[in-house]
Amino acid sequence: MIELLVRINNSIYNLSRVHRLLPWLIAYLVLLPLPKLLEFVLSDYYIDLANRACLFILLCVGLNIVKGFCGQVTVGHIGLYAIGAVSSALLAINYGLSFWVSAPLAVLITGFAGIIVGLPSVRLEGAYLALATLGLGESVRIMIAVTPALGSSTGIMLIPAPAIGDFVFDSFERYYYLVMTLAVLGIYLSFAILRSTTGRAFQAIREDPIAAAVVGINVTMYKLLAFVISALYAGLAGALFAHMPPGYLHHNNFTIIEMVTLLLMVVLGGIGNIWGGVIGAIVVTIIYDQTKDYYFYQPLIFGITMVLLVVFMPRGIGGLLGRMIVKKKFIKNHEDKVIDFA
Amino acid sequence: MLETKNLSKKFGGLRALWDVNTKIEQGTIHGLIGPNGSGKSTFFNLITGIYQPDLGSHINFAGQDITTRSAHQIAELGVSRTFQLLRLFLDMTVLENVMVGYHCHSPYGILSPIFLGTKVRKAENIIREEMIELLEFLGLAEFADIPASELSGGQKKLLSLGRAIAMKPKLLLLDEPGAGLSPVNIDNLMDTILTLKERYKLTVIVVEHVLKLVMNTCERITVLDHGKKIAEGTPEEVKGNRSVVEAYLGKEMADEEIRRVFTG
Repeated sequence: MIELLVRINNSIYNLSRVHRLLPWLIAYLVLLPLPKLLEFVLSDYYIDLANRACLFILLCVGLNIVKGFCGQVTVGHIGLYAIGAVSSALLAINYGLSFWVSAPLAVLITGFAGIIVGLPSVRLEGAYLALATLGLGESVRIMIAVTPALGSSTGIMLIPAPAIGDFVFDSFERYYYLVMTLAVLGIYLSFAILRSTTGRAFQAIREDPIAAAVVGINVTMYKLLAFVISALYAGLAGALFAHMPPGYLHHNNFTIIEMVTLLLMVVLGGIGNIWGGVIGAIVVTIIYDQTKDYYFYQPLIFGITMVLLVVFMPRGIGGLLGRMIVKKKFIKNHEDKVIDFA
Repeated sequence: MLETKNLSKKFGGLRALWDVNTKIEQGTIHGLIGPNGSGKSTFFNLITGIYQPDLGSHINFAGQDITTRSAHQIAELGVSRTFQLLRLFLDMTVLENVMVGYHCHSPYGILSPIFLGTKVRKAENIIREEMIELLEFLGLAEFADIPASELSGGQKKLLSLGRAIAMKPKLLLLDEPGAGLSPVNIDNLMDTILTLKERYKLTVIVVEHVLKLVMNTCERITVLDHGKKIAEGTPEEVKGNRSVVEAYLGKEMADEEIRRVFTG
């Protein structure tokens, strides 16, 4: 199993030496025919599930930037998702803007909201920060629930589907091409950020804010930046959710339960591990869907899973695998050296 | 290079540092000694901006007043330090740890990675090569890709030194570099520090309890006790200073004996 992973890892590395975007292109091409396959083997419904998994991938990757890289415990992410969804939907319906205008605007609005969610992080840490952001996230949902202009209890209906010329993304299959493309792009960008000075600054703040400040990192600014970048991801996911067929959104989609689900994805996949977040998003979306019949037990199961994970597998799936690969490589390098000596 | 005037810090009723005036010349190794709780670490924390000094204090670095600047601004000016408890970024790899040290000199803006430019990748490659060179010098290159948490104690110490050097500082503050090392390792460490000093043209301030190390390498020494400066001068001058010996060993012990122990 590990051998296989190491081999996959090596071949990805070799491909990236031909051209750095080659592995991404191949991954994209492999994912492209997925809806055809799902429709053929299962049914149309599973394409919708894949779409939702892609949305959650975007959310997880974004949450990982602020929580995983930068170490700021935020529980208000779903509120940002709601802001992105509602603002894009309202811009499209009230002002007749096309998706290609309303979605970027919604992303920007969410980015500003991200600053507000991030402000408590300047003073607060850990559980206190979690409480503050929880309050902010939940108040967004309540605000939507009580304001008729934002949908209130009836929700927002007839949100137009995005279109390029005559090609309208109005079926599950067509929408898949949109969300999947953006999800892959989102993952790629998150890698680009992680492997730059900015990403290292985030990680340094997570590890030790004082040491980070002493090497010249403006801790306050980078914390806020992490919140803003993750808010941009959440806003994009929200906008995509709003315009997804059947073009309907309701504040029940942004409850604390959704937030817990999101946290479970990140924790299961491995906090601070990008691929882990992706794996977590896919696994939890599928499990969530398959256990819908036991609706009342879901929060209980999720809660127990989370506790067990934190105790027995704090690095999640991704962290575990990543570390094994690194260790294997290190040992192999050493063995090679020993052989050279002999 | 560095000058403090009336540097003071109170923690509630406790005066951790009391009107310390000192001057550190460019290109020297300056020792800072004193018993536990004498204010050495506070001195470092004030200079690097981790604490804000009390009113009336002045810190001047390379012609600039840095009294009220925050930690990252002071770091940008070229002041770098190590910590007694190292404070490494344990979950990051060894290479990433030193690359974080390079933060201030990063040639691209904080948002440029988002625009997928080739500039970022080229810059990253240059930084990486430069940092691997530094790791090779410290003898840590083969561990570049493993997490810092898996290094041994001595290697961690070297890495924390590497992170401070990666900042290309003008002034390097070392907080007890010799703590927890065996005598042989301390000699090696001192050689490394001296080489680094020559190579990067550093000014160094060392806080240290291993007096042999301080006496042998420092050109000037400042002695603190209960937050006050009680002596300053060359190692010879400090060694012969009655109040320094008293601060370390108490008044009762005979001078002769004291000096023997003191020079170890």
